[in-house]
Amino acid sequence: MSSDSSKKRKPKVIRTDGAPQESKRSRADPDQDVKYYSEEVEVELRDPSKDYELYKQTCQELQRLMAEIQDLKSKGSRDSAVAIEERRIQSCMHFMTLKKLNRLAHIRLKKGRDQTHEAKQKVDAYHLQLQNLLYEVMHLQKEITKCLEFKSKHEEIDLVSVDEFYKEAPPEISKPDITLNEPHQQTLARLDWELEQRKRLAEKYKECLANKEKILKEIEVKKEYLSSLQPRLNSIMQASLPVQEYLFMPFDQAHKQYETARHLPPPLYVLFVQANAYGQACDKKLAVAIEGSVEEAKALYKPPEDSQDDESDSDAEEEQTTKRRRPTLGVQLDDKRKEMLKRHPLSVTIDLKCKDDSVLHLIFYYLMNLNVMTVKTKVTTATEMATPISAGDLLSPGSLLNCLYPGDHGKRTPNPANQFQFDKVGILTLSDYVADLGHPYVWVQKLGGLHFPKDQPQHTVTADNSLSASHMEMTMKLLRMRLQSRLALHKQFASLEHGIVPVSSECQHLFPSKVVSRLVKWAALPYEDYLELSYTKDVVEAGLAEDTHLYYTALVERGTAKLQAAVVLNPGYSSIPPIFNLCLNWKGEKTNSNDDNIRAMESEVNVCYKELCGPKPGYQLLTNQLQRLCVVLDVYLETESHDTSVEGPKEFPQEKMCLRLVRGPNRMKPFKYNHPQGFFSHR
Amino acid sequence: MPTWVVPRMHCTQSCHGAPIMHQIQLPCPSPSTDAALLPSAAHDGPVYAMVSTERQLLSSGKGELRAWNWSDIVKKGCKEAWSRRPPYRSSLEVPEINSLQLNPKDNSILLAGGDCAVHAMDLESGTFTHEFRGHSDYVHCLALRDQSQECLSGSEDGTVRMWDLRTGAQVQLIEVHKYEECSRPQHGKWIRCLATDCDWMVCGGGPALTLWHLRSVTPTTVFPLPHCQQHVMFYQDLILSAGHSPAINHLQISGEVRAQIPCTPRSVHSLCINERSPEHKVGGAPPARGAGSDVTQREGLRVGAGLGLE
Repeated sequence: MSSDSSKKRKPKVIRTDGAPQESKRSRADPDQDVKYYSEEVEVELRDPSKDYELYKQTCQELQRLMAEIQDLKSKGSRDSAVAIEERRIQSCMHFMTLKKLNRLAHIRLKKGRDQTHEAKQKVDAYHLQLQNLLYEVMHLQKEITKCLEFKSKHEEIDLVSVDEFYKEAPPEISKPDITLNEPHQQTLARLDWELEQRKRLAEKYKECLANKEKILKEIEVKKEYLSSLQPRLNSIMQASLPVQEYLFMPFDQAHKQYETARHLPPPLYVLFVQANAYGQACDKKLAVAIEGSVEEAKALYKPPEDSQDDESDSDAEEEQTTKRRRPTLGVQLDDKRKEMLKRHPLSVTIDLKCKDDSVLHLIFYYLMNLNVMTVKTKVTTATEMATPISAGDLLSPGSLLNCLYPGDHGKRTPNPANQFQFDKVGILTLSDYVADLGHPYVWVQKLGGLHFPKDQPQHTVTADNSLSASHMEMTMKLLRMRLQSRLALHKQFASLEHGIVPVSSECQHLFPSKVVSRLVKWAALPYEDYLELSYTKDVVEAGLAEDTHLYYTALVERGTAKLQAAVVLNPGYSSIPPIFNLCLNWKGEKTNSNDDNIRAMESEVNVCYKELCGPKPGYQLLTNQLQRLCVVLDVYLETESHDTSVEGPKEFPQEKMCLRLVRGPNRMKPFKYNHPQGFFSHR
Repeated sequence: MPTWVVPRMHCTQSCHGAPIMHQIQLPCPSPSTDAALLPSAAHDGPVYAMVSTERQLLSSGKGELRAWNWSDIVKKGCKEAWSRRPPYRSSLEVPEINSLQLNPKDNSILLAGGDCAVHAMDLESGTFTHEFRGHSDYVHCLALRDQSQECLSGSEDGTVRMWDLRTGAQVQLIEVHKYEECSRPQHGKWIRCLATDCDWMVCGGGPALTLWHLRSVTPTTVFPLPHCQQHVMFYQDLILSAGHSPAINHLQISGEVRAQIPCTPRSVHSLCINERSPEHKVGGAPPARGAGSDVTQREGLRVGAGLGLE
């Protein structure tokens, strides 16, 4: 019953018995090639609906048969076996029909599927085509929009305006005949022109660059040339130094000084500048120099960052040192004081040369924390002078420049703010340190341009050039005068101590030729002793005798008469005259309080001093006053009326010629000497 | 230097020639603190004498007599009204005028000074009417005897002479230094001060201060004052004097020194009494270069003015 395997798969009909199915078998092709039963063809020929009806019929038959079988079986009769058998064969036949129908259905189904499949494939192909085309369309559309949106770079270029273009462009580019009509061509032409222009400009640019390079090179060359000049100039300057010295034009020296001057603190700088200027302009005998250490001055202004690096080290050191110092508070205070009174390392020296070749050396210092300047002095004389005993104080540096201007005694600091600083470290007054630091005179501050208003501490007082300049000339004059007057006094004292009153020939006319009274003693007097003298009370009360002044005592004698004079010498001699107080011991003690004539003698010497000044600058005033004292003593003694009760001649015969011996209610003597007649009269 | 006291004004002179006025302020004046009303120099030398009339202040010093109107002085304008110079004989030196004395009876003023003569000048016309010569040395002081129109002059030559003002003749001569009671040769013979009251005269100077009876020309009382007296005056029943000592002496005619009021100036040259003020009676001035003066109360309170030196 099994078919050959080489045959195509076709539903094999398995038959046991079957009558209805035989037809199918008989359809076998005689052709050996076609071993298959072409049921496909049969399918197309048969009508499905009939098949369906057949199916239904078959099924019904089958059902019937089965039912009959069942009935027969249930009845269980023997004849039924045949009936059953029959029925069984029928049902097998039906089964075969069913199978066929099933096959047919399958074939139909397969066909239908194939057809559907084909159709589907076609549809798919078309669909695909459609999609492709759609895609392409879309693509093209995109391209189109892109093209439409395309902005050519040429539109970003600012082209020259159309009119200008036609004006400037050469016709081969502008082609006006074409371009005027077609905007596209026009734009092209314009772009061409633009390109042309740019090319030209690019060329120009290159040219300019080349030029610039050239010039730069030239500059370089010249610079090198100049820089090579500098060392040559330096060498020339060096070579000219000997010439400068020869011609007395020390430019280099001055230059060096100016260099150092840059490190001076402002007041000293002002002083330096002003003194230099004054010296160059007015006073050839004034020399200014700067002394001191420039490195130290530079070190003062070093920035504090350096100290911060060593902070940790210095802290450790400080701890150690404070441990050592703690027991002595006084030393700490002392150090603080020293710190406060510290001087700037640089100082300005001014040397004033006078006509007689004596020199006054002034050294100016600046106290940094106190903002005041001080001065120290020194005098060098042309020749060595033996100092007379009484002249000890005349040239002493401590008192030489006392009261150069009235009242300027230099004992107190002129800066009122210093008092607060002093209180902190327990300094009472600067005068204790004056010997070391120098005197802080007010004129020194003025020369340095520091102006301190009285009694009102200001926060900052800065050095002012105009103040210094306005005081410079006056102060230098006064300094010279002071030195000269002191030197003159020095000489005079030397002679006075020997009892000789030196009267120069120009002043001989002030006195009669014969003066009998003699100066016997001339000595310095301490201030306290002066205050204690009984006959000096008026001068003291009038405020004319202060501790800055110099005091002397003179003794004039004639016979038994002794005239003591107490002299107050103002530091401003000789513009301020000395003041004499007299006490005559002769027939009792006579002073200005009990004898009007003594007062008249005092006034002859004190008040009428202008006649006694002598030739300018008037340094002979003191000696002339002493000479006049001798003269008036002579007059006094000789004109004393003779006491008739006492026996014997007058002790002092009258030798002076007098017009009248007494005059006026107070019976004054004639003390005024008249030259050249040579007689005495009353004033 | 003399003082003249006018009610409420106190005028002193200085050796430098300015009449300086001080206003007295009650109750306790100290002229040194008062403002000087006329500090400008009136004379170019010392002022030796001053007198005052009703309307004018007359001052003299180095040879000229100058007059100032009180009205001008009070208004602080100081311009002299007139100035006159007596006829001097010598030309070498201008003599000073040491003393002035007003003669109200015939409106004249007597001047005496360095030329050893007493001049009389008529105040209305300004002419010098008389000249009384006789002294051999310069005249220090003058005193006037009103009733008999005579004037006394004391001089450096040690004499006191009396002159008749009408005739111009010397009536009397007293050589004080020749009297032993009063002469003090150690001081000299000069008569510095004179005062007269009726028949009495008191004079002093080099010789001791003495009270004289003029008619008999006898020194009745010699006052025991050691210093030379420079001004003397009769006041009520006392004689006030001052001199080379810093005190004002109140003396009684009997010769007793009743009081010696200390004063500031060391030597007093003139005294004056302010009649109109009940409290302040006596002013004295020293020969100071500045104006130093003192006003003292009668009962002895001392009000001081210092001596100023110039």
